[in-house]
Amino acid sequence: MKTEIKKDTRQNIKIQTHQNERKGSSNIVWDFFCSVKLAVVIILIMTVACILGTVILQEKTMDEYTAKYGYGLATFLRTTQLTNVFYSHWFSFLLILLCANLICCTIKRWRNTFLQTGFVLTHLSLVLILIGGVVKFQMGVKGGVNVYEGKSVNYFLTQKIDRKGKLDYVKKDLPFSIALDDFILEKNEPKFQLVSYVKNKDRQKVLEIKLGKKQKVPGSDYKVTIKDYVPDAELKQEPVNVSDKPDNPAIFVKFFGSEKVAAEGWLLANERNSYEDKKQNLRIEYLWLSSQQELDKVVNSAETANPQLSVALSGQMQNYPLELNKVFRLEGTDYTIKMLQYVYNYGDRRPLGEQPTDNPAVQVEIKGPEGDETRWVFEKFPDWNKMHPAKYKSLNITCSGIAGTYMAKNTVRIYQTPEGKQMIVCIKDKRIAEIKPWELDNRYTIPDTGNQVEVSEYFPSFDFKREVIKKSDEVKMPAIFAEVEGPAGKVEDWIFSSNQYATWYTDNNFALVYESTGESISHYTSMLRIVENGQTVVEKTIRVNDPLEYKGYVIYQSSYDPEAGSFSGLQIVKDPGIPIAYSGFGAICVGVVFIFYIKPFLRKKQKKGVEE
Amino acid sequence: MSIINVTLIIYIIASVVYIAREVWWSIATKWVALGLFILGFCFNLTWLIKRSIEAGHPPFSNLYESLIFYACCTALVYIVFEFIYNFRIVGALAAVLAMLILLYATLQDPSIRPIMPALKSNWMLAHVITYMIGYGAFGISFITSLIFLAVKPFAKNKKRNEDEQGKGILPRNFDKLSYKLVAFGFPFLTLGMVTGAVWAKKAWGDYWSWDPKETWSLITWLAYLVYLHTPLILPKMNINKSKAAVMLAIWLLVSFGIVNFTFVGLNYLPSAADSEHIYGSQ
Ligand code: HEM
Repeated sequence: MKTEIKKDTRQNIKIQTHQNERKGSSNIVWDFFCSVKLAVVIILIMTVACILGTVILQEKTMDEYTAKYGYGLATFLRTTQLTNVFYSHWFSFLLILLCANLICCTIKRWRNTFLQTGFVLTHLSLVLILIGGVVKFQMGVKGGVNVYEGKSVNYFLTQKIDRKGKLDYVKKDLPFSIALDDFILEKNEPKFQLVSYVKNKDRQKVLEIKLGKKQKVPGSDYKVTIKDYVPDAELKQEPVNVSDKPDNPAIFVKFFGSEKVAAEGWLLANERNSYEDKKQNLRIEYLWLSSQQELDKVVNSAETANPQLSVALSGQMQNYPLELNKVFRLEGTDYTIKMLQYVYNYGDRRPLGEQPTDNPAVQVEIKGPEGDETRWVFEKFPDWNKMHPAKYKSLNITCSGIAGTYMAKNTVRIYQTPEGKQMIVCIKDKRIAEIKPWELDNRYTIPDTGNQVEVSEYFPSFDFKREVIKKSDEVKMPAIFAEVEGPAGKVEDWIFSSNQYATWYTDNNFALVYESTGESISHYTSMLRIVENGQTVVEKTIRVNDPLEYKGYVIYQSSYDPEAGSFSGLQIVKDPGIPIAYSGFGAICVGVVFIFYIKPFLRKKQKKGVEE
Repeated sequence: MSIINVTLIIYIIASVVYIAREVWWSIATKWVALGLFILGFCFNLTWLIKRSIEAGHPPFSNLYESLIFYACCTALVYIVFEFIYNFRIVGALAAVLAMLILLYATLQDPSIRPIMPALKSNWMLAHVITYMIGYGAFGISFITSLIFLAVKPFAKNKKRNEDEQGKGILPRNFDKLSYKLVAFGFPFLTLGMVTGAVWAKKAWGDYWSWDPKETWSLITWLAYLVYLHTPLILPKMNINKSKAAVMLAIWLLVSFGIVNFTFVGLNYLPSAADSEHIYGSQ
C-alpha cells in the first residue's frame, strides 16, 4: 500500500526511465506527446479558438460577411476558416493532437491500480467523446421537414454552406415515410402584466398584481396600490343624476323621422350641447340660461350668442365681436388685429355650411411692433398657441361662440332656466317659425318636415356611473382598480387590459399600462406514424423533449406553423456516434467524481491505516 | 418588504459581523456571523421554494430566478466549506458576493412567465442544479484567491504552511483552499455539462452544436481544466513556487470572470442572436 502512494506522487523518475528504455530513440517525440505542457498549450489554444468562434459570426454566407466585415477581411476570415472555426482543418488538427496527447499520457501513466481509475476514465472518456463527434460529423445527418396534418413525407432537407459560401438545401431520402395524423397546439392561459412608466426618467418597470399592497415604483416618488381585480371585466357607463342642483344640466332627446326614432342621445348644456344631422340639414341645440330674464331676451331672436374674440395682453383683456376683415386696435398699445376667416371644423376643406361644428377656429392677423403674425385661434383649445411657436407669445387670443353662428335649414333650440321655464324654438331659414313651452315626454313637430323631437329625460346634474362587471372567472379581459399616490395626491381608477393606451396620472409624468404578455405555447405535439412498405410499423405522439426513434433516425418536434398552426416542423437526426459519445459522457462523470471525491477519501483512509 | 430584500439585508449584516469578528476574536462572534449567514441562506431558499410553488415550475426558468438560485448556491458552498475548514474572513466577502448577485437579480424582469416546452425536462433540472453548485464553488474560490493575493505582499517572511492553532487556515495559505474549492466544483461543472448535453440532445436533437452558450461553457470548463493541470508542470518549469501560486490565483480570478460572462454576458456577443440557449433571446 505504502509504495503505491509513493508511486502516485509526481516524482516518477523511475517510470520515465522505464518508458525510455521501451521507446528507445523516439523518446523525444513520445515525451512531447505525453507532456502536460502540451496539454495546457492545446487547451489554451482551443480556448482562444472557441472565443473567436463566438465573436466572429459562424457559417454565414459570403454576402453576409462582406456586408459586415468588408470584402478584404471577409476573404481573410474565409481562407483562415475563421468563419467556420469548429469544423476547420486547423481545429480538427488541434483535436487530433489533443487525442494523441490524452492517449499517450494515459498509456505512459498506466499502472494497474485502483486509485488510477479516475485518471484513466476521464482521459479516455474525452477520446471517446471526440470519436463520437467524428462519427457524427462523418456519418450523421441533421435536417428538418414540415408535414401538414393528414399528409406524409419520405424525405427531409439539410442545410449546407457550399464552397462558394452560399446557403444550399440538400434533399435526403428516408427509408420510410412519416405520416402526421394529428397536430395539437396547446396554449397557456393568457398572462397580463402591469407596467409602470416614469416619463422624466424614461423608465419602465413591471409591478406585482397583489391586492392591497402598496408598491413603490423604484427610482421615483410614485406608489401604486391595487385595490381590486376582475379577471374578465366589462366596463358599463351609465348616465346618472347626482343631485337636484343644476350643476351639469343634460337632457335626453329623441328625434323621430316619421314615427320611428331616427336618433337619440344626451345633450349636455356645458359640453356637447348640439346634435347635427347634415342629411336632413337639421340642428338641435340645448341652451341653458342662467335666468328668466335672459331667456326672455334671446328667445325671440334667431341670432345666437355673439361670437367674439378676446385678446389679453399683460393682464388687460378686450373683447371684439366677430366681424371679418375689420381692423381692431388694441387700446393703449401698438397692436391691431384683423379677423381673416373662420371655420367650424379646422382642417375640413368642405364649404362652411357642410362642416360639422366640432373644432371651430378663427384666423387672425396681428400687426405689432415686430411685424405681422398670422395665427389660428381655436375655440376648444385656448392654450394651443402657448405650445406652438408664435411671434407675439405674450398676446393671448381666445374666441367663443363661433359654433353657435352655424345655421342649418332647420334649427331646434331647446331652452331651459333654473326656475324651470323651458321653451322650444324652431327656426327655419334663419327665421323663427314657432315658439312653444316644452314638457318632458311630449313630442313636438318641426314645422314643414314631418319630423318630431321629444325630451324624455332631464338630469340637472349629469354624471356617468362607471361600473365594472365581472363576466366570468376565467382570465380573459382582466381589469384592476389601482390607486396612484404621487406629488399631486392620490388618484384612483380602473385600468383595463383591453385598453391599449396608457392611463396617465394627473401630473402627466407617470402612467400605467395593463397589457397582455402575448399568448404562449405550453405544448405542441404531433401524432406520428412510421409507414414502411405500406404498413404502419411505429406510432407515437412526439413532443419537445420526447422524440421518436426508428432505425437510427430520431424524429423531434421542433416547430410549428405560427400562423395557421396547420403544419408541424420536424427535425430529423441520425447520429451513429451516439453510443460512443454517451459512453464517454458516462465515463467522464464517473471519472471526475472518482478523482475529486472518491480518491481523496480513499487516500485519507489509507493514511489513517498507515499511521495506525 | 419582500423576502429578497430581507435576504439582501441579512447578508449585509452578516458581512459586517464577519469583519467585526476579525477585530474581536471570539467564539461568540464566530457563531453570530455564521448564524446570520445561514439565516440569510434560509431566506434565500425560502424565496426559491415559494416561487416554485407560485410559478408551478422550478425556480430557474429565467435570468431573474436563476440569479437568485445562483446566490443561494454560492451561500450553500460557503456554509459547507466553513464547517469543514473554518474560513475566517472569507464569510464577509461570500456574503457580499451573494448580496451582489441578488442585487443584480433585482434589476431583472421579475415577472412569472409560462415556461417554454423545451425547459420541461428533468435533465434541465439536473443540469441547472449541478451547474449552479459548481458556479458557487468557483465564486468562493474567487474570494479565497482575492484574499490570497491581498495578503501575499505582507506574508513574505513568515513561514508558510503553518496555521495558527484554532484559527483555521491562514489567508497566506488560501491558495490551497482555492484548489480544494475548484476540485470540489469541477466535478459539478462536468456533470452540468454532460446533463446539459443530454438534455440538448433530447430537446433540440443534438448534444453539441457549438452554440455560443455551449461554446462558452466549454471555455469555462477548459479554464478550470488548465488550472487543475498546471500544478503538474510548474515543478518542471523554473518558476519560483510563490510566483506560481500568485499566477494561479490570478488565473482563478480570470476564470470566474469567464463563468459570469458565460452566465449573463453572452447577450453582448454578435452571435447571440442565433443562439437557442441565451436568456432573453427567445
Ligand atoms: C475531465 C477532464 C480531465 C481531468 C479531470 C484530468 C485529470 C487529470 C489528473 C488528476 C491528472 C494527474 C494524474 C496523476 O497525477 O495521477 C492528469 C494528468 C494529465 N492530464 Fe488530465 N485531466 C483531464 C483532461 C485532460 C485533457 C483534456 C488533457 C489534454 C490533452 C489532459 C492531459 C493530461 C496530461 C498530459 C497529464 C499528465 C500525465 C502525466 O503526468 O504523465 N487531461 N489529468
